[in-house]
Amino acid sequence: MASKEYDVLIIGSGASGGMAAYTLAKKGVKCLLLDAGPQVDFQRNRGTKPVYELPYRGFGKPGRLPHVFQANEFNANQWVDESQVPYTHDPKQPYNWVRVRMIGGKSNFWARMSFRLSDYEFKAKDHDGFGENWPISHADLSPFYDRVEPIFRVSGRKEGLAQLPDGIFVEDKSPDSQASKRIAEAGKPYGMTVTKIRRALGDGSLASSFNLLLPDAVASGNVTVVPNAVVREISVDNKTGLVNGAHFVDRQSGRELHAKARSVVLGASCLESTRILLNSKMANSSGVLGHYLHDQFYMSNSVVALIPEAQNGKSSRGLVGGAGYIPRFRNIKTKEKNFIRGYAFDFSTGGTPDARYFPSWGEELQKDLDNARGAGFGATLMGEVLPRFENHVRIDKNVVDTWGIPVLNFQCKYTDNEFNMAKDAVETLGEICRAAKFEVLHRTDRMFPPGYSIHELGTCRMGDNPRTSVLNKWNQSHDIKNLYVVDGSSFVTGGSQNPTMTILALSMRASEHLAEQLKQREI
Amino acid sequence: MKRRRFFKAMAAAPLAPSLVAQQTAAPSNAPAPTSPAPPPIDATQPPAPLNRAPSAMTAPVRIETAVADEVANMAPRYFTPAQFSALRKLSETIMPPMNGAPGALEAGAPEFLDFLISESPPDRQQLYKVGLDQLNTQAKKRFSKMFADLDSTQTATLLVPLREAWAFDPPTDPLARFLREAKKDVRTATINSREYASAASSGGRRGAGGIGLYWYRLD
Repeated sequence: MASKEYDVLIIGSGASGGMAAYTLAKKGVKCLLLDAGPQVDFQRNRGTKPVYELPYRGFGKPGRLPHVFQANEFNANQWVDESQVPYTHDPKQPYNWVRVRMIGGKSNFWARMSFRLSDYEFKAKDHDGFGENWPISHADLSPFYDRVEPIFRVSGRKEGLAQLPDGIFVEDKSPDSQASKRIAEAGKPYGMTVTKIRRALGDGSLASSFNLLLPDAVASGNVTVVPNAVVREISVDNKTGLVNGAHFVDRQSGRELHAKARSVVLGASCLESTRILLNSKMANSSGVLGHYLHDQFYMSNSVVALIPEAQNGKSSRGLVGGAGYIPRFRNIKTKEKNFIRGYAFDFSTGGTPDARYFPSWGEELQKDLDNARGAGFGATLMGEVLPRFENHVRIDKNVVDTWGIPVLNFQCKYTDNEFNMAKDAVETLGEICRAAKFEVLHRTDRMFPPGYSIHELGTCRMGDNPRTSVLNKWNQSHDIKNLYVVDGSSFVTGGSQNPTMTILALSMRASEHLAEQLKQREI
Repeated sequence: MKRRRFFKAMAAAPLAPSLVAQQTAAPSNAPAPTSPAPPPIDATQPPAPLNRAPSAMTAPVRIETAVADEVANMAPRYFTPAQFSALRKLSETIMPPMNGAPGALEAGAPEFLDFLISESPPDRQQLYKVGLDQLNTQAKKRFSKMFADLDSTQTATLLVPLREAWAFDPPTDPLARFLREAKKDVRTATINSREYASAASSGGRRGAGGIGLYWYRLD
């Protein structure tokens, strides 16, 4: 039996856990990394297929993944099977918990949108009085964003916007299409700006912990990765009150094991890290563990329009094409009447709107689609969700997963701030489209259930006050100094920006702090 | 045979990478390679001579096979005959043959939807059954015919709910809600069919029968 004690046990190998391994390995810290899923072989586990070869012609097996709206028949096997790892919620208050368990985690599949948070988020309370400020500012995190962005090769264009800080970019020099310029011009009276999207290029095909972080970590000789290790709970030394390892189950055999370490870093994703802590009954003297669950509400195709000049086969590069991003512009220089914070859009031009947007069928519908080919405009709305104590997860003692581990129960719903924000967003973008002489086909302010954006945040939030937060400003537990949580659960507010770059920067910063603490024998 | 060879070509060209991958390491849900059943053992007899050279025995065995849809027709069995005849009529109305591409009937969309709905949750089954029954009921009430026997003008009068602009929330009227779902489903079942893909390919068009990256079961 090889019962070795590691300096650090890292739980989870996605963006946050992978960055912890990468950072600690460079500091010479000996780490054991456990992930609940297998290592995938992208050559062996995937293959191209025509849709007609699939048993359900692309519809997918009915009822298989009811909460994963992103699932289709091609990718159904990449998501966590809800029958193996269930969760519970009030049927009237659904939550879409979308999960991946494999080495690299969700970073194998993310949309790669790479934005920084600004002090409109870090110091949000200073702007509108709601909630709490983060214990750090953009200036504290900026040096880490500066180092993360080149690893992931983030493309972008420097825009000089306070609400969307510039980063270290692979410069995007592509010209804006005329359609994009028209939207920008029509949006000026609203204080709106159109930017290039900011996207992690990675190595081209993949921008994941799996290919950008873990190979270096393992090559250092300082990190041992164990797949298929489902953590049941973190263990504690009763004499010191410090954590000393974790109990885990071998996913395939069901064998119970225990790994020893001088410290533990949780990076299992916001809600899995929270679940492990709740099941371990630790790090919750504040009583806020599991609370303040928030994300961004996403509404794909919130506004769909046609660009008249591009219809009837006249679509051309330069006129349409490419994607753009509209960063938050509400409650920056103005103060809105019925909501605080703000929203962003990403949009694309040059596609063809779906057939559902045309009130026709048969040959008439085909003619409509032919006329619209390449002339479409579609925008996804991404709105900030306020972190509220009432929105929370807790352990459901009556339900366990395949390995006998109690599951999460969700109590989460959106409220008027989100609904009012969504209404304003689609009305405003609809007006802007019309001002740009686009033909608006459809707009909706109805949103999918919470969780749909796969940006769950906030359930182990950081703060200076141990009575109102789980972690300190170094992502370190207030209660247990050798326990760190480095994923999105540490967020205080989420803004409307995609969170991955911030998660990576926080994990790098926290891991360097931990390495220093280990070096100084503070842990 | 000509049609069969064509489908083989269709399948082979875009699938080359995955076939290679399967040769090196078969995915767990792939059928095991077929091999001849071993002869019964009779210790009183000397071993039968090999009927192939030893080198051939070590080569991977690959039996040429056909897919079921090439050799047989789907046999619908979920909807009643009246419901199924309405579904066929609705399918060919929503997606007739156009520009050299097969329509819903040629693509077997009604038969496929009979299968899909039979596997679907009860609320979806109910949506279809009620919707198809309503088409027949209204056809009889207004034109004294089954829906399948209406002419194109009469059919169009019953599909008027599809003239409403699409909204995020489905219509409350059961027929309107059914027609909205059926329009989407019939189109998808047609465009994603083998027949549609082969016609699109032979016509030099793209966009049908999409090729995607398929994730096999992880273990």
